[in-house]
Amino acid sequence: MRQKKVEELDKLVSSIATAGDKLPTVERRQFLSQGLSMLGGAAAMVAGGTALAATTSKYAPPNVPPWTKTLGQGVIADPYGVPSPFESNVVRRNVPWLTADRIASISFTPLADLKGIITPSGLVFERYHAGRPEIDPDEHHLMIHGMVDRPIILTMDDLMKFPSTSMIRFLECPANGGMEWRGAQMTKLQFTHGMLSCCEWTGVLLSTILAEVGVNKGASWILAEGADGALMSRSIPMEKALDDALIVYAQNGEALRREQGYPIRLINPGWEGNTCIKWLRRLEIGDSPYYQREETSKYTDLMPDGTAREFTFVQESNSVVTTPSPENPLKGKGKYWLEGLAWSGRGKIKAVDVSLDGGINWRPARLTGMIEPRALTRFGMEWDWDGSPALIQSRSIDETGYVQPTYTQLRAVRGSSSIYHKNAIHTWRLHADGSVTNVQIS
Amino acid sequence: MFRFPNLAWPKRILMALALAVLLASSGLIAKPKPAGHYGYGKAATAAEIAGWDIDIRPDGRGLPDASGSVEDGEMLYEDQCAACHGSFGEGVGRYPVLAGGEGTLTEARPEKTVGSFWAHTSTLFDYIRRAMPFTQPSSLSAEDTYAITAYVLYLNDLVEDDFVLSKETFAEVAKLPNHGNFTPDPRPDVDAKRCMKNCKDPASVRITSEPTILAEEVAEDTPVKAASPQEQGAEVYNGACAVCHNQGVAGAPKLGDKADWEKRLSAGEETLIKHAIEGFQGQSGFMPAKGGRMDLSDTAVAEAVKFMLAESIN
Repeated sequence: MRQKKVEELDKLVSSIATAGDKLPTVERRQFLSQGLSMLGGAAAMVAGGTALAATTSKYAPPNVPPWTKTLGQGVIADPYGVPSPFESNVVRRNVPWLTADRIASISFTPLADLKGIITPSGLVFERYHAGRPEIDPDEHHLMIHGMVDRPIILTMDDLMKFPSTSMIRFLECPANGGMEWRGAQMTKLQFTHGMLSCCEWTGVLLSTILAEVGVNKGASWILAEGADGALMSRSIPMEKALDDALIVYAQNGEALRREQGYPIRLINPGWEGNTCIKWLRRLEIGDSPYYQREETSKYTDLMPDGTAREFTFVQESNSVVTTPSPENPLKGKGKYWLEGLAWSGRGKIKAVDVSLDGGINWRPARLTGMIEPRALTRFGMEWDWDGSPALIQSRSIDETGYVQPTYTQLRAVRGSSSIYHKNAIHTWRLHADGSVTNVQIS
Repeated sequence: MFRFPNLAWPKRILMALALAVLLASSGLIAKPKPAGHYGYGKAATAAEIAGWDIDIRPDGRGLPDASGSVEDGEMLYEDQCAACHGSFGEGVGRYPVLAGGEGTLTEARPEKTVGSFWAHTSTLFDYIRRAMPFTQPSSLSAEDTYAITAYVLYLNDLVEDDFVLSKETFAEVAKLPNHGNFTPDPRPDVDAKRCMKNCKDPASVRITSEPTILAEEVAEDTPVKAASPQEQGAEVYNGACAVCHNQGVAGAPKLGDKADWEKRLSAGEETLIKHAIEGFQGQSGFMPAKGGRMDLSDTAVAEAVKFMLAESIN
């Protein structure tokens, strides 16, 4: 049984080793698109080289579907709009065995079903340490004190009078993919990479508030603390606070969601999601880190020699292919739009490469849509799949020149017990039947 | 057009300012803190700050004036902590292990406990004070927090059984054994290259791991809208009640403990539901109203009780 599996794998590997050479080149794409424009629209129907799939729907032309022949719902049928019932599968999910209960737990964003770079507010992953509190914004206060000239207490009305700013930034739990350090374990993209979201965040720069209270000389760290049952807390260095840290009250154009810290949270762009304290109630300015539980016992990276790294804030550059993926299998050979997401806590994504042969050969993908610093960045690539098995990978390069490493490179430095900050190149194994599974390769 | 300003007003302002400075420096009036640029919000008073300023720093700054003994801590720990963390700090289910694990940090399965991994005793005190006990955070007195902290140190063989932790004795135990084994962030620590062609030997490409059958068997939760009352009961149980009733935290009857549930059912299902909704002080423990989840409807709580009865007795 075991032997048979090994033989099977060897066969797969040798067949994909040569697959990279069969790829359509950029030249071929250009030729095709030029040909299309010369031949006109009619030619486009068959330009793909494969016949268009026959539809089995009884409402396909020339028939007329019933919804065309009746009136639909009037306005405010849904005063707050919700997705189509046909999208009911696009939801956050959790993995029960990861945590002891659902109160101190995490849920995952369904990345495979999302497009563009913005995560809808209701699909942003959740992470609670004592459950989600229900807070009346009129009863919520933010206190800023410590090494300041003027300790103050702000109501939410006060906070909204400060100059406002917006930015699109990703939010990622440093444990994203942490279950994969020792080997492939999760069966879906939602669980290998779904502790990741990206929103437009609106609020007041922390630097504005610090200027308002007057920070004393010698102050270098800030304790941020939430109003939840865990009084969740982290120490933030002054440099980040003065750079781009944001006290957020709105997300994707509307009030921050309860799951995300309503009425206010901290966002430290590009840094561990854990530092982005939700339900923010207190900022204490001090002269050294506060060594809270979530920055000592947890969220430190254990190294092979038994030492641990502390205050590992930045989420380094990472990427993943979202189609194909276990949730988005291929339906037979032919042309596809391979796509995925890349991001870096250090700035903008400069390039993304894709390999179809397990990292032997690579070619650059196209960056599509907006390229914002510390934001999800969408990449894509035309691909004519010949139906043979493939090992699909993506590799991001950020504006600092940092290249996303392989598992082998990452483990050589950090071993496999560090839990956090796993940003290794991910591999999807595409099977001949179009299904996709999670694997790790040498 | 540009005009010369009227000099009369600035002069008056300057005089007033000079007087204010004179008065402030002479101590005749309280030194006014100049307002910030915007002046929004209110000044925080010392009492207001004290109510929320709960953090303890590694050098002991922030510790309250109180004390607690290992001896007192043992009782409190058994009562409030052991259901999740185990009587010896060994951890129950997936709840954190608090003691043991010394020398395991370089092993394949490191056990990171207070004794084996944590650096500062301040972190322990601070965390117990801010977030424990899990189901009733911010409920411990300063004395209780000292006592439980002392007992967890004792479980880790870091103090003797007659130790009393206080603001004064804190310095003796401020540094935990693994103190000093934390290093700053050296990243970027991996220097990968952007190779494009023939980057590795095709023969070297091997699949090293795939999700095991075992992982497949462990279901990933797919939340479904609860259709029937039974499903709603299960949903409420998982989301709210399981925290205590799975392990029997704080004297809660455990799901599946037939004898315990039958005993309670003798009062009648309606009474049980009433207690769950309104709260109840029983012999073995305390049931907060709706388990502290006041957002739940009475019906939801009732369905959860029925679910627990059905799961435990049938």
